[in-house]
Amino acid sequence: MPKKPPSFAQSFQELEDITAWFDSQENVDLDQGLKKFERGLELAGQLKKKLSEVENKVEEIKKKFAE
Amino acid sequence: MTTLSVGQYLDLVNQSLRVIPPDILVEGEVSDFRVAQNKWISFDLKDEKAQAVLKCFMTTWQLKVQIEDGMRVRVSGYSKVYERFGTLKLNVQDIEPVGEGALKRAYELLKKKLADEGLFDLARKRDLPRFPERVGLITSRDAAAYGDFLQILNNRWGGVDVQFAHVHVQGREAVGEIVGALAHFNVLSEGDRPDVLVLTRGGGGLEDLHAFNDEQVARAVYASKIPVVCGVGHERDESLCDYVADSRASTPSNAAERVVPSREEVKYEIENMVSHVDGQLEDAILGREQIIERATNAFEKIFQRQKDRLVHLRETLSLKTDKWLPWFRERVNDVERLLRQVDPTRVLARGYSIVKVGGKVVRGVASLEVGSEIAVQFAAGSADARVCRINGRGQQRFV
Repeated sequence: MPKKPPSFAQSFQELEDITAWFDSQENVDLDQGLKKFERGLELAGQLKKKLSEVENKVEEIKKKFAE
Repeated sequence: MTTLSVGQYLDLVNQSLRVIPPDILVEGEVSDFRVAQNKWISFDLKDEKAQAVLKCFMTTWQLKVQIEDGMRVRVSGYSKVYERFGTLKLNVQDIEPVGEGALKRAYELLKKKLADEGLFDLARKRDLPRFPERVGLITSRDAAAYGDFLQILNNRWGGVDVQFAHVHVQGREAVGEIVGALAHFNVLSEGDRPDVLVLTRGGGGLEDLHAFNDEQVARAVYASKIPVVCGVGHERDESLCDYVADSRASTPSNAAERVVPSREEVKYEIENMVSHVDGQLEDAILGREQIIERATNAFEKIFQRQKDRLVHLRETLSLKTDKWLPWFRERVNDVERLLRQVDPTRVLARGYSIVKVGGKVVRGVASLEVGSEIAVQFAAGSADARVCRINGRGQQRFV
């Protein structure tokens, strides 16, 4: 089964984590920093792409509700 | 003529009473409202003008609204004469407050009861997921709220899977359907369950909002495993469901605003994070540059110090030379003067002569012999001579 692509929430969380990582470092390791920065840019690109999705899907539940 | 026992007669009366249609409503004012053993409820229903009293009886589980003395209500049920007391009582099947005042009072009483039970506690309110993927919407497809909610949802965000449960939001079926819809979403498996539920309708009076003020609905919202956003009516309207829900929206549109973030805001936030990280990285690089610069500066300082030392040494040296040179010059002058004083040519100039034998200066007679040749040096010129006598002895002096 193909792996489910990460949700918007997951990608956003990862980007937040990267931002937090930079804030938590007293001396940012340049190698690690550059890698994380690149990953951050990649995530930002994916997230922005998802933001451009316009439609919400509405599906009516075919059921008569009662107690 | 027929003779009956009291019991038999009352049975007959009770049978006759069943002729009264069950859908008749009796309206009056409640007085002497009592609850016995948390189970049995009794009260009198009165007419304010005519002095008429109807004794009423019901159980607590039949009572779905809060009732108190002085409240105007409509009741339905069937009447019966109780043999033991010989009194007629109305067995109440349904009771509802009448008029805005009574409804408001009933609402206030239920609100207080639920608040006392802790259904409104802020501590139990759950955070809504920031980016929901699946939303359960409970409202009527005929209500303006349905369109408003979806429109704002589309304006703000995309890619959400909305599962819509159509229910009546007022009228007799409303309570049962809303409770049923809440149950439907809650029994789904965790993977199929929506991330958030939205219960919404447009505004209205207390009578219109009765389903949203119903104790059963309020308890179903309270029991929901999925966070619930409740949005009823206009800004001013409130309902008990609002208080129980995890998030209270002022209108259906506001419910959409609470459920999904705005694209623009999130885009801005993403850009902010990227530029923040970019800045942090730049700072890190700048920091390294500064370290290198500081090291370079330190080296420069060391070189400068060495250079300064050299200059200083040179200066000290030249200063010493300056002192030493005149002294040396003076010494040379002294020696020169001395030498000049002993210069033999100057002695000769004063009339002295130098006698030499074989190139050597003669200092005494010991090296001389009579008849030997000597050279005499004068200031001007020289002459060779022969020794005639030494200390008066030698050849005869010619007179």
